[in-house]
Amino acid sequence: MTAPIVRFTDERLANGLRLIIAEDHLAPVVAVCIWYAVGSKNEVPGKTGFAHLFEHIMFQGSRHVAKTEHMGLVQAAGGTLNGTTWLDRTNYFETMPSHQLELALWLEADRMATLLEALNQENLDNQRDVVKNEKRSSYDNRPYGQWSNKLQEHLFPPEHPYHHPTIGSMEDLDAASLEDVASFFRTYYAPNNAVLAIAGDADPAQARAWVERYFGEIAPNPKIPPLGDLSLPATLGGESREVVEDRVPLPRHYFGFRAPRFGDPRLDALDVAAQILAGGKGSRLYRRLVREERIAQDVAFFALPFIGGASMAAGQATVRPGVDPDIVERAFEEELERLGREPVTDDELARARALIETYELEALQRVDERADRLAMFATLVDDPDLINRQLERYLMVTPAEIQAVAAEVFRPDNRVVLTYMPAAGPAGMGEDEESAA
Amino acid sequence: MTLEEVLAVRPSPGQPRAYSFPKFERTVLPSGLQVLAVHVPGRPLVSANLIFRTGAADEPADLAGATVLTARSMTEGTERYPGLELIEAAERLGSTLHADASWDAFAASVEVAASRLRAALELLDELVARPTFPAEEVARLRDERLNDLLQLRAEPRRRVEQAFSQTIYTAESPYSRLAGGDESTVERLTRDELRTIHRAVLSPDRAALVVGGDLTGLDVPRMAEEVFGSLARDGSGASGGPGAPLAGRAPVANPAVDRPIVRLYDRPGSVQSEVRIGHVGLPRRVPDFHAVQVMAAILGGLFNSRLQLNLREEKGYTYGVGAGFDMRRGAGPFGVRMAVQTAVTVPAISEALKELRRMRETLVTDAELALARDYMVGVFPLRFETPGAVVGAIGGLFVNDLPDDELARYRGLVEAVTAQDVRQAAQDHIHPERLAIVLVGDADVVVRDLEAAGFGELEVIHEEPPGETDGPGAPGGAEEGE
Repeated sequence: MTAPIVRFTDERLANGLRLIIAEDHLAPVVAVCIWYAVGSKNEVPGKTGFAHLFEHIMFQGSRHVAKTEHMGLVQAAGGTLNGTTWLDRTNYFETMPSHQLELALWLEADRMATLLEALNQENLDNQRDVVKNEKRSSYDNRPYGQWSNKLQEHLFPPEHPYHHPTIGSMEDLDAASLEDVASFFRTYYAPNNAVLAIAGDADPAQARAWVERYFGEIAPNPKIPPLGDLSLPATLGGESREVVEDRVPLPRHYFGFRAPRFGDPRLDALDVAAQILAGGKGSRLYRRLVREERIAQDVAFFALPFIGGASMAAGQATVRPGVDPDIVERAFEEELERLGREPVTDDELARARALIETYELEALQRVDERADRLAMFATLVDDPDLINRQLERYLMVTPAEIQAVAAEVFRPDNRVVLTYMPAAGPAGMGEDEESAA
Repeated sequence: MTLEEVLAVRPSPGQPRAYSFPKFERTVLPSGLQVLAVHVPGRPLVSANLIFRTGAADEPADLAGATVLTARSMTEGTERYPGLELIEAAERLGSTLHADASWDAFAASVEVAASRLRAALELLDELVARPTFPAEEVARLRDERLNDLLQLRAEPRRRVEQAFSQTIYTAESPYSRLAGGDESTVERLTRDELRTIHRAVLSPDRAALVVGGDLTGLDVPRMAEEVFGSLARDGSGASGGPGAPLAGRAPVANPAVDRPIVRLYDRPGSVQSEVRIGHVGLPRRVPDFHAVQVMAAILGGLFNSRLQLNLREEKGYTYGVGAGFDMRRGAGPFGVRMAVQTAVTVPAISEALKELRRMRETLVTDAELALARDYMVGVFPLRFETPGAVVGAIGGLFVNDLPDDELARYRGLVEAVTAQDVRQAAQDHIHPERLAIVLVGDADVVVRDLEAAGFGELEVIHEEPPGETDGPGAPGGAEEGE
């Protein structure tokens, strides 16, 4: 089975907006995806969580769109939508029946051009409450909920903008003001800081004309402040450990490592290594820790790619009742370190390749995934054609490359070990909580 | 034109492209196995799903959890592929074998390149027809389930779902339990019970093989007959005896609640209350299905549902609130689901109750009706972009015994729903006089306000913090209303 080639055009409007169009008429569906090169790494001290709060404000209306109307118009058109915020970027997307493409483009343009005209204190306060409840649901009121925030804290030094979590702190969310929203918008939500990808059942000439019409006159910001040097040493320089008492019934280890940056071919090798380590029941960690030794309830391993300084490779293992957590930790680490010492077998690599091929083809079937990847590769590594080369890059990874990246990354002095232990009383409280008032 | 002039005009939609749900071909093999093949051009990844119309709701109460455990144990080795060899063989095809059971069905599925479909179906047959249920692997999976139940008790979102089902159904109903069973029965399960369930489930005359994708050059019915020919011999499908399925009959789904009640599961220090409000709902096969779905969308299904606009966009009480009917072969639950900041637990419940009453009392506006109908009709083609989704929907028709043209008629029937139909559906299927309100939250903070609010008879349940137990134990004792 060969991967279908995603043909696309890649151009810039006069105001700097990067426009990528991938035409495909299989289904009567079109995806619009806009990525802004701004994320939680652009937040300043005292304003953590702001990029994400801002994402919520983007759904509170603009000059020609009332509060909540964005969602109403898209859904009434038979579309789906959302937005997400992460360290390096913020994205907004709509998947529409193809005859409703123009509506999605207009909605995105209206908020890029006129968001501040609808901004008010009431909407900011409302969405601040919603986001604080999102933080409670997704992190604070959830067993093991703070793991990713804690791994970031350990892997990136305090002065590095990946040190703090995207969801931010309650105090900082409370501190967000209308002036902050206006200044963030004027600084980062400019056409020259965005990539707009359209994938699916669209006529490219018509789509291009609509984009010119709605986005063409939006003023760029020639002075987007650069972030400065985010580079980091490739390794942590010493193991970092923390024991977290939480209201959990079973102990669980989380492991974190600094890893090569997004776009680095060594990260492709690490992704293949992750498949061999924990991708399903045939994988090494599952086989040994869950199936054979029966010391873990579950295992996972994956890489989270970032562009500034280092990516994060992360793993987890939940300890079975009655098992010494140290035994689980050692077995997990042994398997990681073994990858750096001896090459993977031909059969393991063949199975990993076959599975990765299916996953990639499965994902690329959908227009929303194609638009998302085109915008992602353009925004983060200035190379949208990676959408057509990523699979090949995975399939070319050799046993020697896996061994090399494993030896580089899975070192004790590059390791964070976070161990959740059952607490006696109410736990998971204290940090990041505001008072009952 | 200036930017302002351009943006001031809302675009109007173009001409919609014609869309119809893909037609599927039905072939009934001599064994009784139905083969439902759907050609989706240009989709080289094929989805295949072998579904048996027997699920967790059909198992006897003392074997609760056995059907799910049976399904999950089937990938642990077969006669020809012991141990992990079955998994590895599938991985070499670039494929992962899934086997699982829901309330209504038992299914084994695979996604694979069209050129390797035959080989993947052979593995599916191996998994379904000749699993060996190795005793030690069954014991491991059973223990993993018991550990998962421990985890569940610590997760407010899962704990409240379990408590809600236990509250609204009588103990006779399988729906009062978890589909995967709880400690009381799971810890007794061995390969013998699993084999019994397996024999009972595995009857080709209650099974369908649904295959979707670009099937150019593939004779799926013939392939199915060659591959699954032995299925009839292996499965007795006999009725009677332990584990015999009740397939064809709707599971018992009697309501246990006849007046408004409140059950609070104390979780000291919780920063949010996980709340469920509802009662026994409806089975999938109801004559007013489309009106009920439109009603549920307006109440709590859309981004801009009444509950969302009120509790999220106006009050900021929650990150998200939803409501709907979980429709099964029997009457699944109807409920409002939300996680709200602890301090506003009572006002949030009051607003949710208000919205439930309002659905019954007044007609929805033209705008609300249009939004729901237009969304459900318009999003229909988006739902079925990939073969996996098409196969899943066809499997749903089979499991629920719905007519072949159910999906083809869907959009017309949604468009025909009126405001009167919506109010009628709310009056017929939302019952404020017997709502159960179930919460997992901090009793110290909310119990006084809950009592004062008078939502219904209040019961507070204190459980051992799961961190203090060292194994599966009995649920904590209940305390009568404070």
